[in-house]
Amino acid sequence: MKTYILRRLGYSLISLVLLSVTIFLFVRVTGDPAVLLVEPGASKADVDALRAQLGLDRPLWEQYVAFVRSLLRGDFGQSFYYRTPVFDLYLSRLPNSLLLAACAMAFSLLVGIPTGILAAVRVNRWWDSVGKIFALLGLSMPAFWVGLVMILFFSVYLGWLPSSGSGTAAHLVMPAVALGWYFAAAHMRLTRSSMLEVLGSEYVKLARLKGLPEALVIAKHAFKNALIPVLTLAGINLVIMVNVAVVVETVFAWPGIGRLLYEGITFRDFPVVQATVLLGGAMIVAVNLVVDVLYAVIDPRIRYGR
Amino acid sequence: MKTGALVLVVVSLLLLPAAAAAAPEGTLTWAVHVSVAPTWFDPAETAGIVTPFMLLYAMHDALVKPMPGNAMTPSLAESWSVSKDGLAYEFVLRKNVKFHNGDPMTAEDVKFSFERYRGASASLLKARVARVEIVDPHRVRFVLKQPWPDFMTFYATPATGAAWIVPKRYVEKVGDEGFKKAPVGAGPYRLVSFRPGVELTLEAFEQFWRKTPSVKTLVFRVVPDESTRLAALKRGEVDIAYSITGALAEELKRTPGLTLAPTHFTFTTWLLFTEQWDPKSPWHDRRVRLAANHAIDRQGINQAVYLGLAKPAHNFVPSGMEYFWTPPPHAYDPRRARALLAEAGYPNGFDAGEVTGEMIYGGAIGEPVVNYLQAVGIRAKLRLMERAAFYKEYGEKKLRGTLHTGSGAPGNAATRIDTYAVTGGRYVYGTYPEIDGLFSEQANETNPRARQQILHKIQQLIHERAMFAPIIEPAFLNGVGPRAAVHGLGLVANFPYSSPYEDLKVKTR
Repeated sequence: MKTYILRRLGYSLISLVLLSVTIFLFVRVTGDPAVLLVEPGASKADVDALRAQLGLDRPLWEQYVAFVRSLLRGDFGQSFYYRTPVFDLYLSRLPNSLLLAACAMAFSLLVGIPTGILAAVRVNRWWDSVGKIFALLGLSMPAFWVGLVMILFFSVYLGWLPSSGSGTAAHLVMPAVALGWYFAAAHMRLTRSSMLEVLGSEYVKLARLKGLPEALVIAKHAFKNALIPVLTLAGINLVIMVNVAVVVETVFAWPGIGRLLYEGITFRDFPVVQATVLLGGAMIVAVNLVVDVLYAVIDPRIRYGR
Repeated sequence: MKTGALVLVVVSLLLLPAAAAAAPEGTLTWAVHVSVAPTWFDPAETAGIVTPFMLLYAMHDALVKPMPGNAMTPSLAESWSVSKDGLAYEFVLRKNVKFHNGDPMTAEDVKFSFERYRGASASLLKARVARVEIVDPHRVRFVLKQPWPDFMTFYATPATGAAWIVPKRYVEKVGDEGFKKAPVGAGPYRLVSFRPGVELTLEAFEQFWRKTPSVKTLVFRVVPDESTRLAALKRGEVDIAYSITGALAEELKRTPGLTLAPTHFTFTTWLLFTEQWDPKSPWHDRRVRLAANHAIDRQGINQAVYLGLAKPAHNFVPSGMEYFWTPPPHAYDPRRARALLAEAGYPNGFDAGEVTGEMIYGGAIGEPVVNYLQAVGIRAKLRLMERAAFYKEYGEKKLRGTLHTGSGAPGNAATRIDTYAVTGGRYVYGTYPEIDGLFSEQANETNPRARQQILHKIQQLIHERAMFAPIIEPAFLNGVGPRAAVHGLGLVANFPYSSPYEDLKVKTR
C-alpha cells in the first residue's frame, strides 16, 4: 500500500514538472508581452527597456531556472500587467471561483440527479423526453450565449437581477445557472444511464421479488449504487468549474480565476498564466491522487496487484 | 476711497459663488472595457498607451496637459518659456497647490518626478535632458543637451507621463510598491478602494486647485464583455459604458434615454503591402497599390462599423497629430481601380494571397476591405490572428502578403514615420531611399517650420508611392445614461475617455 501511494505521488510530481515546462514554453512562443503592454508602434528603445525590466531579454533556460527557483520558494513571480505578486492575485480570485463553482455544482446536482432518476424510472415516457430536451439544450447551447440571453431577460427586461459584477447573492444566480446548466445536463445523462444499469441488475430484481415497495427499491437499493459514478464525475467537474469558467466569468464580469487566466493569456502575462495553469493542474493532480488512493482502499485488487 | 471700497464689495460679491462652491455630491459609475492596473496609479510607469490617462486625469495632475480647447494647457505650471537658444525650458509653478495628503507641491517634486520617471520614452527624455535645475521653490528649469524641437511633445502630452507630478516626500517614505497601494497625487480625485480586476472607487478632493469637483464619488467597474456593458447601462447600473461597437452601438442609439458619445484619438488603420519591394510581385507596380487604394469604400466601412462617426483616412499618420499633412483623397472608384489593374497587366485581376490582421480591427475593418479588394479583381483572403501572436510575427517580419495594421501610439508625425516607414523601424519591411534621407534631415532641423516642410514632404512621398492603403481613423463609441449631466467625453481633443473629471456633473434626485 505504501509503495503504491509513493508511486502515485511520484507520477503526480512528474506530471507537474512536465506541466510547468510545457506551459512555460507554450506561453512564450506565441507572443511578446512587451509589445502588448505598450502600444504597437512604440519605439524600439521602449520595448527593449520593458523587455529587460521583465527579464525577457535573458535566454530561455535562464528564465526557466529562475522561474523554478522562485517556485520552490513558493514565489510565483510578479504579474507583468498588474505588477503585483501573482499568488496574491490568485488568492484574491480563488474564493470567488470556489463560490461560483460550489453554487453551479449545487444547481447542477439538484437539477441533474432528480431529473436523471425520474427519466430512468419513467423511460421513454414524457418526463424522459423533457429531460432529454433539457440535457440537449444544456449540452449544446454555449454558456456565453445562455449568459447573454439571461442578462437580457432577467436584468434588462424584467429588472430582477444585476447584469454583472459580484458582492451579493443576487449577483451569483445567473452566472451559477449559466455555468451549471451544461454540468446539470451531463449529470442528468449519467444519472439516467447509471440508474438504468442498476435497475436491471440482479439485486434490484431480488429486492423487487422480496416485495419491497418500489420507492424503497429506487431510493435505497438502486439510487445509492447508481450515485457512485455520478459523484466521481461531479468531483472532477468541480475542479474544472473552478478553473475554466473563463467564458461565464467574462460575460458576467465575475472576478474569478478563469478571467484571470483569460486576461493573462490576452496580455501574455507569463507569470499569471504559469501560476493559474500550474495551480489548476496541481488541483487536478491532487484530486486524481486522492481518487487513486481511495480506489486502492476500496478495492484490494489494486492494492496488491502491483 | 469710497469708490475703492465699493469696488471691493462688488468684487467680493462676484467672487462669492466661487468661494462658496457647493460640496461635491452624487456618484458617477463607468463600465470600463479593460482591467484597471495599479501601474496606472503611478505616472512614472506610464507605458506609452492612452489607457492609464483614464486614471491619471483623476488622481494626478501635470505641469502641462491637454485640456478642453488647448492641447498644452498650463496646469500645475502657470506658464513656461523657452530660452532663445532652445536649450532651456523654464516652468513657473502654481502656488498653493496641495497633494491629497496636504503636502504643498514645489519644484523639488517636479525634479523628483522627472528623475524617477521610467515609462514610455524615458530613455529618450533622459538622453536629451542634461539636468533639471531648481531655480526657486516655484521655478524649475529643464536644460537640454542640444536643442530638441519635440521636447514639449514628449514632456507635456500623453506621449509620456513625465510631466505628471508625485509628492517626493511621500514617495520616498512609502516606496514605489507602497505608492501603488496608496497613491497620493495632486488631482481632483483620490483613491478610496481598489479591487484588481473588479472595481475602483475614487472620492472628490475638495482642495483641488482648479475647482472643487462637482461629483462626490467616481466608480470604475471592470466589465469585459461589451453586451454586458450595454445591459448594465440600460439597467442604470452604470452611467457611462466604454467601447460599444457595431450592431450594439446601433441598439444603443435606438434606446430612449441613452446617448451615443463618440470620441477620437490618434489612431489609424492601414494596409501594408509587404511585397512592394519584391520586383516579382504584382504589388511592386505602383498602379496595383493605387488600384487597391481606389477599390476601398472608406465611407461605407465608416457607416457600417462606426455608424458614420469615424474618419476615413488617406494618410497613415492620424489627422490629430502635429506635422500631419492632408493628402488629396484616393476616391472610391472601382472602375478606375480595374483600369489601373489592366494597365499594370492584370486585366482579369490576380491572386493576392492573404491579408493578415489581428482579431479586433482586422475582423471589423479587414473583412469589408478584403471584400472591396475582391470586387475589383484583387483576389485576397482574410487571415485573422490573435492579437499577441499577430504583433509578435509582424515585429519579427514573419508575415507575408498584405497586412491590415494600425497604431494608436501617441506622438507626432515624426515618431509615427520613424516606427512604420523608415529603415530600422520596428514594423518596417522596406522603404524608399528618399524617405530615409529626408527623415534624417528633419531630425537635425531645429527650425519648426523647415522641419514641418520636410515631414510633409515625406508624407507626400508615401502617398504618391501608395506605400500604404490608409483605411480609417476608428471612432471610440461609448454609451451615456440619463444621470450623467456632463459626461466629459470628447471635451479634451484626441482623448478617448471622460475628462476633465472636475468638470463632470451628475443629476441628483
